[in-house]
Amino acid sequence: MKRLVLARRETTTRGGQPLAFLVGLVFALVVGAILLRITGDPVLDVYERMWDRSLGSQNTWSDTFNRAVPLALAGLAVSIAATMGLWNIGAEGQIMFGAIAATFVGRLLPDAPGLVLIVAMLLAAALGGALWSFGPAVARSEIGVSEIITTLMLTEVASRLIVYLEQGPWKDPDGFGFPGVTPRPDQAELGTLWERTHIGVLIALAVIIGFAWYLRRSVWGYELRIAGSSEKAAAFAGISVRRKVLGVLLVSGAVAGFAGGIELLTTTTGKLNVQISNGYGFAGIIVAALALMRPSGVAAVALAFGALQVGGQAIQTNPGVSPAVATILQGLVLFGAIGAAVFSTYRLRLVDRQVAES
Amino acid sequence: MILGVTFTEAGVIGLLVAAVQFGTLLYLAALGETISEKAGVLNLGLEGMMATGAAMGFIVGVETGSPWLGLLGGAVAGAIVSLIHAAAAVGLGADQVVSGLALTFLGLGFADFIGDGYTDDARRARFADVEIPGLDDIPWVGEVIFRHSPVTYLAVIIGVAAWFVLNRTAIGLGLRAVGETASTADAAGHSVVRLRFAAVATGGALAGASGAYLTTYLVGSWSQNLTAGRGWIAVALVIFGAWRVGRVAIGALLFGLTLALKSRLTLFDIEISGQFVDMLPFLLTIAVLVVISFRARNRPSPAPAAIGIAYRREER
Repeated sequence: MKRLVLARRETTTRGGQPLAFLVGLVFALVVGAILLRITGDPVLDVYERMWDRSLGSQNTWSDTFNRAVPLALAGLAVSIAATMGLWNIGAEGQIMFGAIAATFVGRLLPDAPGLVLIVAMLLAAALGGALWSFGPAVARSEIGVSEIITTLMLTEVASRLIVYLEQGPWKDPDGFGFPGVTPRPDQAELGTLWERTHIGVLIALAVIIGFAWYLRRSVWGYELRIAGSSEKAAAFAGISVRRKVLGVLLVSGAVAGFAGGIELLTTTTGKLNVQISNGYGFAGIIVAALALMRPSGVAAVALAFGALQVGGQAIQTNPGVSPAVATILQGLVLFGAIGAAVFSTYRLRLVDRQVAES
Repeated sequence: MILGVTFTEAGVIGLLVAAVQFGTLLYLAALGETISEKAGVLNLGLEGMMATGAAMGFIVGVETGSPWLGLLGGAVAGAIVSLIHAAAAVGLGADQVVSGLALTFLGLGFADFIGDGYTDDARRARFADVEIPGLDDIPWVGEVIFRHSPVTYLAVIIGVAAWFVLNRTAIGLGLRAVGETASTADAAGHSVVRLRFAAVATGGALAGASGAYLTTYLVGSWSQNLTAGRGWIAVALVIFGAWRVGRVAIGALLFGLTLALKSRLTLFDIEISGQFVDMLPFLLTIAVLVVISFRARNRPSPAPAAIGIAYRREER
């Protein structure tokens, strides 16, 4: 009797992760095609439209690039926390609070010159994000409360805070009585590079490169990795794990909040609303996981996810096709990649049943 | 009048009734998560499984005209999607946090996908309240405890059964062993993979039933984002309940009360933004976790030791 087992490879296959990601993508599209088929939608038409709207022309590449910005920054935020084995699951809420803080500054300095205001609002956004992760950071570093739960809970709080601001204190007096925050000052808008691609793309890229370099080369990054791999080793080396936990969660929150600031400065409506984070914080976790928590990989995966999301949005314009397909595809990419990644460390082997069971 | 709030008898009773109703919702999901975590598998896909159960529960309910079949359909759907997490996290050893969150995406998307044609459907397949004869006439208590949907009573029965299986049977012992030290349990002859799959699927079924309870009773209809973050509260409840079936039930009632506050606000004539009341359960969760951790900081954690750790036999 023979049976199939997973056997560990002697050496891990190089370049396994990009390949696994591709397999995940293909897997998602195949399952998506089956779902579309079941509902009787024209699979090829839908996929063609997805392609056209995300990567089909220079114009649509802009949308993909713009969409990749919050995804990449959220992914970066998650991966920074992950260097220490921490989970910032609440990047979504930090994005929202970053946008709230930026809006606050915009309301404070409505007549400031554009550049000053943009810098002030982005700084406020980063500070806001850090502030939103401050509670979970202290709770984790001082008494060991799981940051997974606390950051998640604060996401729910942030979204309700925005609704409150829309209905109450920050309600637009020119909003014809409808709930909605007064738009940011007109001069506080990030310009564009080409077509609709905004400067945020360059800023995000700079932030990612900066962090990738800093985490790799600085003492701080080195100590983070030690503390992340072994608390004991860190203690022997005189590294305060507590302060590292605090610091890394604050920085992670700041990066997510910064993404919220960029979003606020680039939305066409210029308004703070619940949709400002649009699930980027959660998608960022998947992006980071697919990039194996490496800042350098985050940008590439974010770009692919940006295309997937922008293309997915276009599905909705196809009559009768459920927009939920795009959400499903994002989850499937990860599961497909998880499945495929196994084969970079394992391979299938046929062995005798007795051997397999001993 | 206390703090400008007028308490009326009807208001307080109404609030407590709603607390039990929301408590049922939270308990089913949190109990499932407890069972899964007891076997060492953290499943953050609760929101997704609940949403899938809610959509499927509604569809099966209105198509067959039976809320019971709806509840069953929701449970089965929840169990099926949970197996994706089991396959990734248990079968392939993927990170449980990542896999669970991906399941949230998948489940929410899948729920919207199948529920697309049922949004704002006027049809109903709703459980009727069952009054326990003899007990429902007791003043106050009768109304609060003995006049509920069958799901609430079912949840109590499932809770007792879960306690019994976990603490008094060989399967329960094996399941807990697998969640503490998988390699030892493996050596003792328990199948780690099989027990963990079973625990995750049970958790998925209960989460799915919890979602179906939303659409076959509590709300009665399907719409997007119906679960509204309550799945996350259920995850936190497991910590609150220290992974113990009974304590999780108490926590579910407490948090059910905070969820109920919003829907019963008008009964009390309170001048406060509904958004702040909405934040309450989430802020309370954080406060409770902080207090628990603070009190337990010098004691061993009640968490199953193998939570989050994938088991591969050749790496033990």
